[in-house]
Parts: sequence; C-alpha cells; structure tokens
Amino acid sequence: MDKDIAISVRGLGKRYVRNAGRKHNSLRDMLGDKLATLATLGLKRKQKEYFWALTDASFEIRKGENVGIIGLNGAGKSTLLKVLSRIVTPTAGEAHINGRLGALLEVGTGFHQELTGRENTFLYGAILGMSRTEVEAKFDAIVDFAEIREFIDTPVKRYSSGMYVRLAFAVAAHLDPDILLLDEVLAVGDAAFQRKCMTFARSLEKKGSTILFVSHNMYSIKTMCQRVIYLKKGKVVFDGPTAEGLKLYEDDSRMKDAHWFWSDDDERPIRFTSGTIESSAGVDSGVIAHGDRLTIRLRYSTTRRIMAPDVRVSIDRQDDTHCLTFSSKQDGTDIPWIEGEGELVIQTPPLKLTSDFYVANVAVREKGVGKLLAAQIIAHFHVSDPDLGSLSYGVFNEPGAWRHTPVMPANDADAPPPMLAIAATR
Amino acid sequence: MNAAVQKALATGAERHVVIRPTKGLFDLEMGNVWRYRELLHTLMMRDIQVLYKQAALGAAWAIIQPVFAVVVFTVVFGNFAKMPSDGIPYPIFAFAAVLPWTYFAEATRRASTGLVDDADLVRKVYFPRLIIPLAKVSAPLLDFAIAFCVLLIMMAFYGIMPSVKLLAIIPLIMVAGTLALAIGLWLGPINVRFRDVKHTVPFMLQIGMYASPIVYPLSQVPAEWKALYSLNPMVGVIEGFRWAVFERGSPDFVALGIGLLVVLALLLGGLVWFKNQERSFADVI
Repeated sequence: MDKDIAISVRGLGKRYVRNAGRKHNSLRDMLGDKLATLATLGLKRKQKEYFWALTDASFEIRKGENVGIIGLNGAGKSTLLKVLSRIVTPTAGEAHINGRLGALLEVGTGFHQELTGRENTFLYGAILGMSRTEVEAKFDAIVDFAEIREFIDTPVKRYSSGMYVRLAFAVAAHLDPDILLLDEVLAVGDAAFQRKCMTFARSLEKKGSTILFVSHNMYSIKTMCQRVIYLKKGKVVFDGPTAEGLKLYEDDSRMKDAHWFWSDDDERPIRFTSGTIESSAGVDSGVIAHGDRLTIRLRYSTTRRIMAPDVRVSIDRQDDTHCLTFSSKQDGTDIPWIEGEGELVIQTPPLKLTSDFYVANVAVREKGVGKLLAAQIIAHFHVSDPDLGSLSYGVFNEPGAWRHTPVMPANDADAPPPMLAIAATR
Repeated sequence: MNAAVQKALATGAERHVVIRPTKGLFDLEMGNVWRYRELLHTLMMRDIQVLYKQAALGAAWAIIQPVFAVVVFTVVFGNFAKMPSDGIPYPIFAFAAVLPWTYFAEATRRASTGLVDDADLVRKVYFPRLIIPLAKVSAPLLDFAIAFCVLLIMMAFYGIMPSVKLLAIIPLIMVAGTLALAIGLWLGPINVRFRDVKHTVPFMLQIGMYASPIVYPLSQVPAEWKALYSLNPMVGVIEGFRWAVFERGSPDFVALGIGLLVVLALLLGGLVWFKNQERSFADVI
C-alpha cells in the first residue's frame, strides 16, 4: 500500500437487518412470533428483510487531505464513519487505515453525569484511546481550551450544555490523531466556540492530519474541505472538488425533507412539490444581495383537507443558527383550510442578513400547534456582500445613526476633532 | 512532549488497521484487550467513583448490605430454625459466606447488564467489548475489600485468630469473579437483544443463594447429592472461605475441583460466544 495513503476503501458495504433489535425486544415477542410461524407449519416463514446502508464504496484518501462526506438523511454517511472507526463490522469489502485514528462521532459520549469535569476528562480521554499519562500531560491545555477552569471539579451534570460540549471537544481535540473522523460535532456549541473548533481543525490540517468530516453544514464543509464524497442511498455518486459536489447536492436536496424532520408515516397529508426564491438577481440564482426582498413561491399538494394550517418559512444559517421565520398565522394571514393543490407566495421585507450560506425551509402544522405535517428544504442560497461577513457582523446588520461628541479639555492648544455626526449611509 | 507521553502514544497508536467483514470463530483478540488495559482501568474506576456519589452514607453501604443480610439470617435461620453451623457462632458462620456471595451476585448482575448500561459507548466508540464485563466484575472488588474489614472485626470479637490460611481468599474471590465474568459473557450478548435478562438475573441469583451453602453448612447436604450440588462453583468458593477463616481440617478439594472445571468451561465457551456476538452489538443495541 502506498505510503501516502491514509485511508483506502475497497468495495465496502454494510447490510442491516431491517428493524433488527426492535422487532423482538423481549423474549415473549420472539416466542409469540415463533409460535405463529409454527401454527402455519412454517409455510409462511417470514423472510428476513435486509437493506444495504452502504454499498460498494471505494475511494482513497491521501495523508493530509480534508474530505467532506455529504448526503441526505440515511444516505450512509454515518454508517461509513462507523465502519471506518470499527464500531460496526462491514458486511463486504475492506478498508485499510494507516495511522492513529480518532473518531468523534458524538461529542461527550461516555461522559458520566455524576463525575466531575476532571474525572470525566480522564474517562473520556481513555475512551478516545489516550493513555493516562498522555491526558495528564495535556490536562492544562485541555482545560484552557474548554475555558472551564473554575468548574473543573464540579460534576458535569451541573454544567450548562455549552460547557459540557466545550470540555468534550477539548479532550477530543487533544487526541492528536493522524486521521480524524468527525460527525456533526461542530454543529454544537455557540458561534464563538464553533469558530475555535474550526481554527483547531485548520491547525490539525497544517500539522498534516487527515480529516474525514460528515456534516449537513455546507458552510463548514466549504471552509474545511477541498474534496467531497457525495453519498446517495448508500452509494458514492460523486467524489471530487467541493464546489462541484455541493452543487450536485444542492440540486438533489431541493424540496427534500429538512434534516431535522422525522416522520414515520409514509403517507404525508401535505407535500410541497416545488419552491422558488426570486430576488433582484433573478429566480433561483443561489445568490442574493444584502437587503434584497425575496419572493418565495411554494406549490403544494394535499391528500386531505388541512384545517387552519400554520405555514412557516424559516431561514437558517448553515451553522444551524435559526435566523428568522415567517409564519402565516403570526403574520396575520388566516388560511381557513387547504385542500388539493395550490400556491402560496410570500413577499419578504428587505432581508438584512449578513454574508453567509443559508437554507430556507418550509414547515406546516395543522391548527397552528398540531403535529408537524411537513418540513422541507426550499433552497440554499448565499447572501453576498463584500463588507458584511457573519463572523464580524453577526446574523443581521442594520446601520445605526452615530453621533460623536468629544469632551473638550479647557485651554487645550491642540485642536480637538470637530463634532462629528456620521449619518447612516447604507 | 516528555518520554512517557511519547511511549504512551506509540503504544496507543495502531499503525495499520485492516477492516474486514468476518473474523475466525476462535480469534479472541486478547492482544487488543491488553492494548486497551488503560480503558479497562478507567471504566472500573468510573464504576467505583459513581456508585456512592450523592449517597449520604457513601461507601458505608458496602458494609450495611451484607451486615443486614447476616442479621436477618441469624434471627431467622440461627435462632428460629436452629440451623446447625458446624459448631461455629452463627453470625460469623453466615458472614464468611455472605461476603463472597455478595460480591459474586453484584459482579454477575453488573456483568450481565453492562453492555446495555453502557450502550452509548457501544454505539459510538470502538474498543474491545470484552473490556465492559471485565470492568464490571472488577469494580465491586472494592466493596468486597471494605466488607472484608468487617469480617476481621467479627473475627476479633469471636476470638478467632487469623492464620496464613486467610490468604486463600484471594484466589477464591478470583474464582468467584471469573465465574461472574463467564456468566456475564453468556448473558450480556443475550441482554443486548432481549432485555428480559435484566429481570431474570436477580431471580436466578436468589435461587442460587439457596443452592449455595450460605445459610446452612455443606455438611447438611445429603451425601448422594453432593457431586451434583458441587456443580455450583460457589459451593467450593464458600466452603473455601469458611476453611480459610475457621479452624478446619482441609478445604473441600472435590467441590473446588468440580467448581473450577465448570468455571473454566463456562469461561471458554462464553469468550467464543461473546466474540461472535460482539460484531452485531452496535447494530442491535
């Protein structure tokens, strides 16, 4: 095997038994099932239902490469990372890993609520594969990174969720692996800490670590990875430059379920069949200017009458910061019911979002507070502005009116700056 | 970075790993368990640290449980039922047996349910799964050590001089721990699929307690049943404890020998069974 290769995957596949473990959670269920089979003299013996979460995946990742893994829910992204981190055994194919591998599939797995931050640091370190001496040597650096020195001897159950995540990430960050598998971990913590994590990931990159990164967060993928692997229904459908892969993903994800929406019923009473976003740059250009008004057009199709629906269009930044929501109910548009097919149009005020990557979602609840009936992605778009970056300007930017009044010292020879009024120019 | 860290890094790192679908039936990967011995230690320490956190009486529970059991046994079996105790005062007669049994019962219970108790680890982190039952049977050893001090106090109270024989309890408790591990290896993977195990184990332990010479002496068991009775490895362990504490001729080598064979068979079978089930834990847990 080539010395420059960190991960080599050939024909890797993982097959699961559908509903494994859930079908018979107690012996009684299983015995009941077996008896039912016996009663039919085994003629109607149920075939085990299999599904392939991952099929025939092949790729090579060179040392020092940062690769993003993208795909919709259930595309096999997490399965791939689980196989590579040896949590689950593959059904087919093989993978070679060259170097020390650290897997962070969920921040804080293995933290024990009753233990203190200090005790958990050692526990979590050991779980991630660090030795006690190693954790001891890095202990101060970890605590500083997490910014929780004064709480280090408090049980973690008293931590805020932010502190919890910071400590967990700090431990994991100091693992110093040659290859790091990351699953969605950057989607937690506040913006400042996320930035810290990104900086850290980049420092790993400089050290020549290989990073494999699964995320719904296109923004992090774009900033961290030069290459993406796009999985669709367990298959690798694209492996190449990030921009190209994201474009493909974007086209595929239109009108798909939002990643946070889970519904087991196959029959949905309402689905949005198309959605477009029109701005000064045209229809679905993917780029809008800061301060643009948007016209969002949604076509729906229902299978039954939905009473007093609350239709909500929300815009989330790609680090999952929820930015704003337009609600038909809140905005005073009473829709008594919807049935059959139809179109909804939302005209927004000028959106003063800062320059970043966003996703627009649409969700419907019956009678305003009822069950979530649908949640779909309308489109992804960039807000472009040369000056207003989200890192320094936050989510929104509206210019304020400034006034500057220096207090003039008496008898000062130096001419003070004149009274200054800076009017809003934007 | 100092030398110790460098060394630790070198041992912790696995330079080249091949991931493939199937493993051999008898590939137990013991080397892998050894590589993760620090995690074993840490998980064991975690279980110890966690056990008595936020309990007002703390580690005193390690004493209260066996002492109360012995008080009840002494009143019911010693006083009411007039159970013979080989001429030894009933309280200490019972305590010498309750001591290893309490450890065994706790270790068995934890080893059997450990995989599910640590399900989030099994789902999200790789390590040899054997570490879990190993840690679970090790942690209650601390309780055992604390309760052992009570035994020493009781011995002083009854004027029993400790002799060199007392050292025999170290290998004996290891036999009890190995038995608990073996049972855990069998039941743990079943518990991953069927949570019934959690409810069955306390009930089996209850029966096991009366199938072991705890409230009565081995001499009360009819001779023709003794061979069958000794299939329970705890018989040899408990009788061994009594031999180590009291003035007696020799330990019951027959019971101990049979027990050891049973433990060994259970352990080897359990290891193979556990390893073969291991690969599907993360899928079904």
